[in-house]
Amino acid sequence: MQQTSDPTEASGAPLKIRTFTSMGTVISLALVPDGPAAGQAADDELAAALAVVERLFRDLDETFSLYRPDSEASRLARGELTLPRASDIMRDLYAEAHDWRLRTEGAFSPERPDGVLDLSGLVKGHAIREAGTSLLALGRRNWCLNAGGDVLAGGSPVPGSGEPWRAGIVDPGNRGSLVAAYPLAAAGRHLALATSGSAERGDHIWRQHGRPAEFSQVSVAAADIVTADILATAVVSGGTPMLDRAADGWDAAILAVRTDGSLVATPSFRR
Amino acid sequence: MKTRGTVAAAVASAGILLAGWQAGTQAGGTSIITATGTTAEGSGGASGTNGSAPHSATTKGTTSGTTAAGTFTGAAVQTRFGSVQVQITVAGGTITDVTALHLTDDDRKSIQISNRAAPVLRSEVLAAQSADVQTVSGATVTSGAYLTSLQAAIDAANL
Repeated sequence: MQQTSDPTEASGAPLKIRTFTSMGTVISLALVPDGPAAGQAADDELAAALAVVERLFRDLDETFSLYRPDSEASRLARGELTLPRASDIMRDLYAEAHDWRLRTEGAFSPERPDGVLDLSGLVKGHAIREAGTSLLALGRRNWCLNAGGDVLAGGSPVPGSGEPWRAGIVDPGNRGSLVAAYPLAAAGRHLALATSGSAERGDHIWRQHGRPAEFSQVSVAAADIVTADILATAVVSGGTPMLDRAADGWDAAILAVRTDGSLVATPSFRR
Repeated sequence: MKTRGTVAAAVASAGILLAGWQAGTQAGGTSIITATGTTAEGSGGASGTNGSAPHSATTKGTTSGTTAAGTFTGAAVQTRFGSVQVQITVAGGTITDVTALHLTDDDRKSIQISNRAAPVLRSEVLAAQSADVQTVSGATVTSGAYLTSLQAAIDAANL
């Protein structure tokens, strides 16, 4: 696909993207080289950043995947291991997930209906959060990380310009087109954008009280990716009451697509 | 005698009902917006003419519901979070816009109220073509479904 308006052409710093597969999805890392780095140096920069991010995702997946019989999460699920004896990261994320359950009044839950602990609703967001911290620690300022549709950005696609990263939101009724867009910029405070759906890979979203799905898709932009991801999941699960709570209680921009295709949005999503 | 009394009571009851119905119809048929020129003040609630009348504000200088047009400013109302004042725009008897002139003196509450999610048309949200964005957010795609996704196209263009 040829981009008609490539914002990186003017600055001469090409946007480069690399991908890898983890957690059952594809992770894309876009990087704009800082300063004069170009050619081989820029490629090396990207390769180094990608290696760090990929390692981080793989390590977390090895610990938390319920698809791996030998993972710590699987041993917990089978009762071979108890939480007090689990690793620090397992207990930390469990505590964080439990806190989110309270804050969303149960719309987000770290447990499946059958009682099995399933932190997959939090682990990917945590991985993106950690990857973003690592990229900043590596000195990378202008990047955009997309993990299976959840996005965290840093800086700008045109370094120094303050121009936001422009994120599109997939139309759940026609996945080849966009239903909306949102600018991700430090100046706008929202650098993270997460989308949850009730149809695709909705395996970690349990609808509250057996209520029918009101929204086929919910997107939340927030200052951090975990908040965005959890709230998106919670609104799909909790419907309009949770949507109102999320808009009231967090600094978040929300776009929800109802099952009939109509839209509900907070003011920041309006033109 | 007893019969006559019952009939009288029935007629009286019907009269009260009819009066109530008329009051309701009248209030419903006129614009509930106070319209004097282009701005108007709310005149402070229903006057309680009849229990069955809708609790709309009493009106002065009412315009017909089908022809009302212009911008109307409501009175500043004191709430426990501070004063609140809104303005509506009417065209052809239909409210086309509601603007908050003042949303409470409590900043936190003000943010909460103004951030409320509301139905919007697709033409009213920030839009973009896939060629204009650098990344795409959507419900988690499996690595298989990724191949046909918009994100895959963007990634391929920037390898």
